[in-house]
Amino acid sequence: MSSLDEKIDEAKKLSMQIVKESDEDKLMTLSVGPQHPGTGHFRFIIKLDGDYIVYVNIDPGYVHRGEEKMCEYRNYFTNIPHLERPVIHDSANITYSYSLAVEDLIGITVPRRGQFLRAITSELDRINYTLYWLAIYGIFLGHSTMFMWPAADRELVLDLLERLTGHRITHAFNIPGGVRNDMPNNFKEKCLSQINYLEKRLKEYEHIFYNNPLFRQRTEGVGILSKEDAIKLGVTGSVLRASGVPYDIRKVEPYDIYNEIDFNVQYMKTCDSFARAYIPFLDVRESCHIIRELLDKMPESGDVREKLLSNIKGPPGESFKRVESGRGALSYHIVSDGTSRPYRVKISTGSFRNILALPFLLVGSMLGDMPPIYWSLNYWPIEADR
Amino acid sequence: MNTASGFIKALESGTKHLFIKRFTLRYPEQKLKFVGDGYQFDPKKGVGIAGLRGRHILFHDKCTGCQLCSIACEGIAEAIAMVKVDEQWKQNKKSIMPQIDYGKCVFCGLCVDACPFYALYMTNDYELSSYTKQHLIYTPSQLAIKPIDNGDVELKIGSRGATHG
Repeated sequence: MSSLDEKIDEAKKLSMQIVKESDEDKLMTLSVGPQHPGTGHFRFIIKLDGDYIVYVNIDPGYVHRGEEKMCEYRNYFTNIPHLERPVIHDSANITYSYSLAVEDLIGITVPRRGQFLRAITSELDRINYTLYWLAIYGIFLGHSTMFMWPAADRELVLDLLERLTGHRITHAFNIPGGVRNDMPNNFKEKCLSQINYLEKRLKEYEHIFYNNPLFRQRTEGVGILSKEDAIKLGVTGSVLRASGVPYDIRKVEPYDIYNEIDFNVQYMKTCDSFARAYIPFLDVRESCHIIRELLDKMPESGDVREKLLSNIKGPPGESFKRVESGRGALSYHIVSDGTSRPYRVKISTGSFRNILALPFLLVGSMLGDMPPIYWSLNYWPIEADR
Repeated sequence: MNTASGFIKALESGTKHLFIKRFTLRYPEQKLKFVGDGYQFDPKKGVGIAGLRGRHILFHDKCTGCQLCSIACEGIAEAIAMVKVDEQWKQNKKSIMPQIDYGKCVFCGLCVDACPFYALYMTNDYELSSYTKQHLIYTPSQLAIKPIDNGDVELKIGSRGATHG
């Protein structure tokens, strides 16, 4: 009997040591990233209850390069090559708004032909960016054909950009005062034929990817961002337009030549991941129309660049300009104190605004829905961190 | 029914792709043909001439050793250093010419825009890899060599899709 009592006492002591299961123990913490959760170094921490996400914390900043501070130590021209590094495949747009802001500060206007060339490069780069983004969307959902096709067809656009600017990516083409060079001979015919071929290929994308029942089942009704929430969260670009707000800076605040161009703002009212994936694709189609129209309306000859001193001094003051990039509104706020270097440059990018919607969308959804929601936000980590 | 037709269309699209030509550039055997002889700049007009921005070419008979290219590179890559050369040129009293470190160069071409004497252009030469960092530094005499341009393949669009060559 005594031995049994001892055993009971021992068991009682042991039971005192056992920590009871708390609510916190049900959750599993999962760190997605920071080594390339798709593209770029970016981390988000997820807490899971079973298969459902209950908590999300985003942790950007792994690829912060200090672009804004670097701008303060370089003059208005030498800023161009480093400013396009955050988005190397959409570099025409990130230097576009910078050039517009500097021109506004100095008070010059770009010659008409230069404005057309800028718009053409901007649209080509939008296609270039979106096809790359689409390729990664494909591989995110395990659709390797959709990775291969846009990656190959991007070559059509890269070839045109190489002819026009001299580089496939990081063109250093837009510069305060205009563009670096005029377009080469036979560019117009070449551009038209390659853009027309690309449009034909886009139809195939629709068959194999967007109308594919597998893709539709994974994205339709997933990650709903309603119109009111989208406006409150301050998302821009394709994410905002997928939530039913027809807001495109090319239309709302036309810069350069865009007020003469006739195009439609693409938007959808379904507010889900499918809409956010489909809007950039529709933008590519619209860009093809815009390029054709630009080539048609372009003046036959003329200056492309207003000549400026290489160490031009900006008069004291401020300027703010924004453009519609592949990821939404991309704006520059430049403050000048009268020297040849900007006093302060603030870059506001669409990527950073869009990622703020990620915790909002992921909480309550399943872990399997994480890739289609994350990548539908049209996020580029390096641009967001600047 | 809608699901079935979606699958059939996707499969049809994939099958159609079997009959499209392969869209691949077989690089060491095939090389792309570029527009012109590389990026050039006309200081009188103030605009460039379209072309690939590859390795530079330096015309020794035009370079005056003014260092404007080196100054233009400040704050970008700082790849250009002015070095002494043995040659004697009438226009170049100091006998200094640019030496370019391709380990640092970002190929933006702003040095070409800065040259007022038509002495520095860019060429179609893009094959610059080497085993050591030292070999990436091109001296003025190396920069004077005109590259052999043997690219002959262009992107073509035919009835069976886009191909190279």
